[in-house]
This record gives sequence, structure tokens and C-alpha cells, in this order.
Amino acid sequence: MIQVEGLTKLYGEFVAVNELSFSVQPGEVMGLVGPNGAGKTTTLRCLSGIIPPTRGAVRVGGHDIVRDPIAAKKQLAFFTDEPRLFDYLTVWQHLNFVARIYQVPDYERIGAGLLEELEIANKRDALPGELSRGMKQKLAIACGLLHSPKVIYFDEPLTGLDPLGIRRMKDSILKRARAGAAIIISSHLLHLVEEICSRILILKNGRKVIDGTLEEVTRKFSEQPGDTNLEEIFFRATSEPGTNAPAVPPPLPHGNER
Amino acid sequence: MISALLYLQYHVFRNRLVSRVKRLKQPKYLIGAIVGGLYFYWYFFRYLFGGYAGGRQPPVNFTFSPEHLQLIELFGALVLFVIVVLAWIIPRERAALTFTEAEVAFLFPAPVTRRNLIHFKLLRSQLGILFTSLLLTLFSRRIGGNALIHALGWWLMLSTLNLHFLGASFARTMLLDRGISNRLRRLLVLGLVAAMAVFVWIWAKRTVPGLSSADTTDFNAILDYAQRVLTVGPALYLLYPFRLVVRPFLAPDATAFFAALAPALLLFLLHYLWVIYADVAFEEASVEASQKLAVRLAAIRAGNWQGAGKKQKAKRPWFRLTATGPAPTALLWKNLLGVGQVFSPRLWIILFTVVVILGISLGNIGHRPNVSVMAAILIAAALGYSLLLGPQLLRQDFRHDLPLADVLKTLPLRGWQIALGEILAPVAVLAAIQWLLLLVGAGLIFYLPGKYEALFLAIALGAAVLLPVLDWLLLLIPNAAVLLFPSWIQTGKDSPRGIEATGQRLIMALGQLLVLLLALLPAAVAFVGVFFLLNLALGPVAAVPLASLAATVVLAAEAGLGVMLLGMLFERFDVTEEHTS
Repeated sequence: MIQVEGLTKLYGEFVAVNELSFSVQPGEVMGLVGPNGAGKTTTLRCLSGIIPPTRGAVRVGGHDIVRDPIAAKKQLAFFTDEPRLFDYLTVWQHLNFVARIYQVPDYERIGAGLLEELEIANKRDALPGELSRGMKQKLAIACGLLHSPKVIYFDEPLTGLDPLGIRRMKDSILKRARAGAAIIISSHLLHLVEEICSRILILKNGRKVIDGTLEEVTRKFSEQPGDTNLEEIFFRATSEPGTNAPAVPPPLPHGNER
Repeated sequence: MISALLYLQYHVFRNRLVSRVKRLKQPKYLIGAIVGGLYFYWYFFRYLFGGYAGGRQPPVNFTFSPEHLQLIELFGALVLFVIVVLAWIIPRERAALTFTEAEVAFLFPAPVTRRNLIHFKLLRSQLGILFTSLLLTLFSRRIGGNALIHALGWWLMLSTLNLHFLGASFARTMLLDRGISNRLRRLLVLGLVAAMAVFVWIWAKRTVPGLSSADTTDFNAILDYAQRVLTVGPALYLLYPFRLVVRPFLAPDATAFFAALAPALLLFLLHYLWVIYADVAFEEASVEASQKLAVRLAAIRAGNWQGAGKKQKAKRPWFRLTATGPAPTALLWKNLLGVGQVFSPRLWIILFTVVVILGISLGNIGHRPNVSVMAAILIAAALGYSLLLGPQLLRQDFRHDLPLADVLKTLPLRGWQIALGEILAPVAVLAAIQWLLLLVGAGLIFYLPGKYEALFLAIALGAAVLLPVLDWLLLLIPNAAVLLFPSWIQTGKDSPRGIEATGQRLIMALGQLLVLLLALLPAAVAFVGVFFLLNLALGPVAAVPLASLAATVVLAAEAGLGVMLLGMLFERFDVTEEHTS
């Protein structure tokens, strides 16, 4: 469903993403992890057609995002870490707008269902300025899901959500995956990635360090079978070679533990 | 403790200045700074401090007689009086010192006394006051006088007013705490002002000889009367403190300035003591004010200047948007909702009513040709201004939506479709306003002197056809500019300020004018060609609308190409590159 071949993005001479290749099949949830500045958001932006790749190819549902952007974009939804909404459109007007853009004839039924599911049906006539951050996030999700996308990208999906919101978001992601959507989640929350992702791709300095199922990744980075969690894998995979840096940062001194 | 606050203020100012200087390494800021600097020098600085040696003359150099100075002082005092009265009437909120959210986060939980916070606020406001004083001096100096005296005079006036506003807000809070509502306070202040006005009026009626009906047309006679009323009797004493504040600014020389300075400084000091010793809780209201400020700044940084000052309200769409049909209509629908924040249907109804009433009124006075001519000139001027200012004021297009460019880029639409949808709303609104004006103008034509009704109607018809396409073209240019040079246009994140930003805007304005002239050239050629041909065969009444139609066709072709080009620009627009530049 998502095929990436040799994706490279340069900003001037700075290489943000370097020769990245991977694919995500329908029903798969891939976790995109890496330290700050690894190129995760740039990758997602290239994958969603927001910025053009400098080199390489991205195909969404068989459509090249550069050559056939309309067909590719019709199949995808991109949820940014900060909900991006129009400040003068109400909740329902957002759905109405998206419905026309994506040509969703029965948007009223689907939209009402999504608002119910996301528990913001009572905010139908509210402007974004009247919504909490979590509610804004829910509205952005409702807009993104209105056209039933087959490919979904999440950039830090749990930011600003309360515990119940986090639980619902995880359930929602898994539900979409079970329905056949190919999903990529970029997050620093390794426990989230560990919990819901069937595959993991670790990025560092724009390059792929490893890509595979959690088992495959664990196998590569563990010293003994079963001794490693994703957090340790992450530190091992992203530590600088030859620095003798500890795999996991040392705990805080006694009395400063949080 | 105050030293820490001084440290903060100093470093905020210094770092801001350093970052401004550092960004001059980028050619776009350097060129802007040079052009902006030349502009400020040419129009203001060369008249400041340096005098007028070398044969240069100030644009106007007034010399005032003592009587005129007294009159100016009185009017200045009257203006200050009105400002102060309004400060006691209009505001309704509790006292709030405006801090940034960071200042609230760091200073409010810190062991800083309330008095120190006030000192900090006063200190910080001095930056703005000094800058405003300099700016006002640049203007006031152009009519003559000593620059230093002007600068110090402005500073004293603004600083005293600033302290008074703060003191009034503290007093307002104290009154609210004592159960005196805003309404009661306003009634009391208005009652007091009314009593003073009645007192002065009765005194003037009994003492000062009134104006004869002939005098009411003589400006000097009115001035003399105003001077007599204001310089003798109660008004003189009522306005006395305000005159003390204005007097240093108007001092003709250093001796007069120092003589006027002492009482003005005493007033300033009294205000300072009032503010410092007023023990009023302002923290809670300040937190709220800082949040509002943050929202406003965020709106401005997001390019939403029009919505920055007020709370958005949900608006009813201008038309029903179905789920199927051309996708650019969705963008038009969305942007009209944005325009609706300013141009609500209610405003349109009011505008239409005004137009109808104006039309009827003009019909009634149609027998007075001068009035009809004047009204026609006003309408023509309004149409001209709509072309000049309309595209700058109606910004519900890329200039507003550029901060959401990443969202627009994920939409499954071609670049030209997004460009078309983005530009439609301001074109539609501007054309509607112009058609309303043309409607009034067409009604007026029958009351104009002479026998040119048919020709004027032909011109109005031609304008009605031409204007929407012309608006389209006028709006395409700034939209293309914002995609080509986003940081040069007043939109997006961190829009630049300062002399270099002024220079950038000047360059952009000149560039846009040049592009417009080039774009208009083929249409003008088409108009002139068709007009001359048809004028010979059919006469001007038929030639004007047909020539306008020919020009419209040319402009429409350009506008169509322009939308395609704008779409290409949007497709190539790299959000990340702009943010990282």
C-alpha cells in the first residue's frame, strides 16, 4: 500500500532524509522512531505530498505521490502532532468542507458517526478556539477519517490527550488497521510503538538503521534472547559507535528520582 | 530584585537588536534595510536635529504668535482631557498589567513584590513610549520647532498619560471592589463632565459675546470665540492641569521649556506616586490578559491580522455547500466564512439600506447639480480606492492561509484548483462592493448637469464588466508575491518588523505596481484600439462598453494564465524550506 524507494530530501546541503526505502502493507502499523532531528517528520511530509522529495519515489496505493498526486492524496490522511484547523470554521463546517474536497456524498451520516465515536458531537457548532487541545485533535481526526483513507500517517498522535483519549486513540488506530488501512506512526513514545505497531523502522540522521517486525529488531539488537525491550533497542540502535555511551542513560541520583 | 528585572529587560532588548542586526547578513533584509533607511532619512530624519543648512527647507515652518500658541495649548489640553475622560468611561475590566505568558510564568510565582512588578511594567512601557515619542517627533518636527524639545515634550505627555491610564485602572478596580459598578462609575463621570460643560456654557453665555450668524462661516471668528471661552473663566482652571502637561512640548525655546518643565514633572511625579502606592490586586486579571495577548500574537503570527483583535464567532455559510461538485467551490465557501467575520450578511443588509437611502436622498436633491457632481466624484473616488485598498484589506486568500499551506498541500487538488478557490472569495466581495457603488453612481447619472446620461451609463456598464476581472488581476499579484517571497509579505510566522521590513514592503509595493502596469498594458491597447474603431462607426456610447468588453477578454485571459501560474507556484512552494530559511 505504501512503497518508498530511495527517498532523499535535501535542504540546501543538509541531508534530512537519505536513501530511505521501505514498504507498508494493508493492515500493517509501522512505527517510525528516531532521535530528534532524525528526519521522521520530513519523511512523513514527503510521504503525504506536502514537500517534494529531492530524489526517490513514494507510491501510495500504487499512485506516485509526485506524478499522480491527486489519486495518491485521495487515499491518505495525515495527522500532525499539532491539530491544524481553520479558525473560523465550526466543527461541522470543517466536515462539510472536507466532504466537498474529497467528494464524500454521504458525509452527513459518516460525519455524525465520527463525531459520536470521538465524543465531540455536542461541539458540532463550536469554533476551534472554543475547543480544548484534545478536542481539536479529535476534530482533525474526524476530518481525516471522513473519506475512509486507506493510508494513514500519525505524527505524535498522543500529544495532549488525556488517559481516556490515549486509550481511544490506540483502539482507533488498531481498528483502522484491522479494516485494512496501512498506517505509519511517528512517535517518541516507545511503549506506544511497542504496544500497537507490527513493524518498526528506526531512523538516525536521515538514514534507516533497521526496519522489521519487533521480533526481528529485537533479535538483531539483543545480546541474549528475550532480554531486551524497545527502549533498550532504541538506545543501542541510535548510540554513536565508538563512544562507549551506555545503552540506557543512568538513573537519577538517589533522592532525585522522579 | 529590581536588578533582575532590569537584567531581563536589558537582555530582551539587546538580544532582539542583535538578532535584527544579524539577519542583515541575508540580502533580503539588507536590501530592505537600505531602502527603508533611505525612506526614513528622506522623509523624516533629514529634517531632524541636523537643521536646515545647505539651503534645505522644512516642508512647512510655522511660527506661532503667543496667542496662537495659547490656543494650540488649549486645544491640546482639551484633547488630553477627552482622552482622560474616555479612560474613566470606556474600560470595564479590572486592572491588568499586560505581561507575556513567559513573564507571568517566571515572575508571578517568584518572590517579587507587587510594587516591583509595577516598576517592571513601567520600565518596559518606556521602550514603547520612547519609540513613539521619536516617531511623533519625526512628524511634528516637520512643521518646525526644536527637535529635542518636541521629543521631550512628547515623552512627558505620553509617560504621564501612561501612568494615568494605569492609575485609572487601579481606581476602577478599587471602585468595583467597593461595590461601585461600571455603569454607576460611568454615570458619575459623565455626570461630572456634563456638569462642568454646563457650568462653562452658562458662564460663556453670560460673559462672552456670542457668535452672530455671519460669524459661523468665518473660521477666524470661531477660533476667537473658542479662545475667549477657554482662556477666561472656569474652562481655564478646569483645563489647567492638562495645559501644564502640553506646555513643555509647545515651548518655543529652551528657557520657556525649562520654565514649563517643573510643573509638568511635578504632575508626572504625583501620577507615579499614585500608581506605586495604590495597593490593588492585578495578578488574576493580568494572567487572563497575558493569555489573550498570547492568542492575539498567535493569530497575528499566523497571518490573521483581522481576527487578531477579537473573538471569532461562528458564522452561517453564505451558501449551502453540497458534497459533490467542483472542489475549488469548497475553498471559496471556506474563505467567504472567513470574510464573513468582517463582512457579515447583516453588514451587507446595512450597506444595501444605506445605498437605497442615499439613492433616494440624492434623488430628492437632484435639482442641486453641485451636490450630484460632488456625490459622483465621491463614488468615482471610492471606486478608485476600492481598487487600491481592496486587495490589501481583503486577505482571505493565500496571504491568510499560507500558515496552513501544509494542510492545503495534503488536499487532493491540483495547484490551479487551490489557487482558484483561494482567490475567489476576495474577488467576489470586492466586485460586490464595486457593483453597489456603480449602482448608486448609475442612479446619480440622471441628476448630473449636461446631456451625457447615455455616455455615463455606458462608462458605468463598461466598469461593471471590467472591474471583477481587474480585481482578479489585482489580487493575483500579491498572492503570487506571497508564494514567491513569503517572508517579504505581511503573513506567515514571525513576519519581520523594523526599518528593513518597511524597506521590504516598499520594494514589494513598487514591484507589484510594475507587474500590474505590465499586465494592464495589453488590455489598455485592446481598449484603445477597439474604442477608436467603434467610436468612428457607432459613437462613444456603444464604443465604451464594447471596448471595455475587449479589455475584459484580454484581462480574463491574463487572469486565467495567472491562476495557472499561481497554482504552479503553490505546487512548488516548499513549506519546510521557507520555515528553515
